[in-house]
Amino acid sequence: MPLLSPYSPIFMKGFKVMAVLTASFFCVTRPFAQTRTNAQQLVLGTSEDSLFSGAAKNKTVISGYGMVTYQRDMVQKKSMANLERAVLFVGHQFNNKISFFSELEIENGLVAGDGTSKGEISMEQAFLKFNLNRRQYLIAGLFTPRIGIINENHLPVNYNGVERPLVEQLIIPSTWRELGDGSYGTSSLLPITYSVAIVNGLNSDNFKHGDGLRSGMSEGSQATANNLAITAALQYPINDFRFQVSGYAGGTVGLSPRGADSLNLQSGTFGTPIYLGEGDVQWSHDAFSAKALGVVINYPKAGTINTAYATNVPKQMWGAYAELGYDWMFNSNSGKQFITFARVEKLDMNSKIPENGIIDGTLNQMNVIAGITYLPIPNIAIKADIRLLHTGAQNPNLIINPPPNQLPYKQNQQFINLGIGYAF
Amino acid sequence: MNRRNFLQSSCQLCLLGFIGAATTSILDGCVAASSIYKTNVKNNEISVPLNLLNGQKVQIISAPETDFDIAVRTEPNGTYKAFLLSCTHHENPLNVVGNGFLCPLHGSQFDFEGNVRKGPASLPLTQYKTHVANGNLFITITA
Repeated sequence: MPLLSPYSPIFMKGFKVMAVLTASFFCVTRPFAQTRTNAQQLVLGTSEDSLFSGAAKNKTVISGYGMVTYQRDMVQKKSMANLERAVLFVGHQFNNKISFFSELEIENGLVAGDGTSKGEISMEQAFLKFNLNRRQYLIAGLFTPRIGIINENHLPVNYNGVERPLVEQLIIPSTWRELGDGSYGTSSLLPITYSVAIVNGLNSDNFKHGDGLRSGMSEGSQATANNLAITAALQYPINDFRFQVSGYAGGTVGLSPRGADSLNLQSGTFGTPIYLGEGDVQWSHDAFSAKALGVVINYPKAGTINTAYATNVPKQMWGAYAELGYDWMFNSNSGKQFITFARVEKLDMNSKIPENGIIDGTLNQMNVIAGITYLPIPNIAIKADIRLLHTGAQNPNLIINPPPNQLPYKQNQQFINLGIGYAF
Repeated sequence: MNRRNFLQSSCQLCLLGFIGAATTSILDGCVAASSIYKTNVKNNEISVPLNLLNGQKVQIISAPETDFDIAVRTEPNGTYKAFLLSCTHHENPLNVVGNGFLCPLHGSQFDFEGNVRKGPASLPLTQYKTHVANGNLFITITA
């Protein structure tokens, strides 16, 4: 029996020990101040600094983040190393009220014109920010709406694990970005932060089986704008908790009315709508941290999309996860962090299917991830984790012309992940 | 006990513990920061009545002369620290959360001492000198 098989006694013993240690450690220690870290920021100042804010009225800032990963598939016995992403931020402050933010991303290290590489170059964000006052601002351009936890906070130093939570990749497709306008702010009476935005809608023409919403994203590239979407979120911090609820509702047919009619699809701003509801809570107290998230997506007219495009999209998807972490160096006064964490994720990308849909058991998944995140400084994360994946059975009706040497599908898979990330 | 039962039991135990901690904390009745106190800068100083700070973990001060709000943190030993609520990464306004300050733009986190907990920010928050006199806290606003 493989050592890292979820059924191996050694692994089960180790997992139980980690769970008991984490659950039984109740000591609440006094927080110690962390030492200052050295600055590595490049600032190209173009004018005199403001007296009261320390900020130049007009300046450009360059920063970024990136991640290198290694993954070993213990079932397939294959390994892959990858420069998963290298992202460049360029921001410019025109004056007190108007600034520009952008993120340029290269995924998988190489983009070759001959189509042999699997890399991608894209804009993750490019938007103008207009400060109405110090607590409210408008944005316009390409941005990541406030849905879930990772969509806005997707830097490798912001989450545990080499991989972003699977629920926030497969159900909420981080980094989900669209073109539009948004209003963000914090109430002056209550500690509530809100956001509301109108963005271009998803394009159902591109929906693919097993890809969730991701294939329908336009990512700022010639997005269909006949259909639009509204997204909104509320955040509420209280004591050591931070609660968030968010929602999304948008049309998914960007065709002209004539084109839509020919495919028997409901067009219009919110035609053939899709709905998303999400809630999450994050908690942090001294060395302990925890988070939990749940999301549901409903697509009532998925059947009409399947008919129009001969695809297999579901009527409902859902996902949830919970994570617990402990920083063993919290009291060391060194500025370093050594976090052990465990996360359980459950998702089903076809929990309900239309009458013309085909159920795919492999999209019903449970993931258990356990590992470490070491931050020698707050801007560098060294990560290692093990991920156990259990899926439902493969549906033979979805296998078309299998190759003669195809191996049987394994419902239980294990991965070892290593990664180094930076952000500045 | 098989793997599925163990995971279910562990998750139920953790969830119960989490709900218990959440309920206790919420019933505590304190919020991370109270409503905002509006005032002006006079002679490079902001004056805040001390009775406003009593019982507040963090008080937000807003003065039109500063580009960003200022957070006054009451330390456990009864002293005060004042921080400019501007993220040192890309100078985005910070939100006050239970364990410090958070920048919604890229996720930088600062603790209540103004030190960076999570990047991409690398510099601590701008901190202003404070002193107490005549029942007021004075925050010296300097470049």
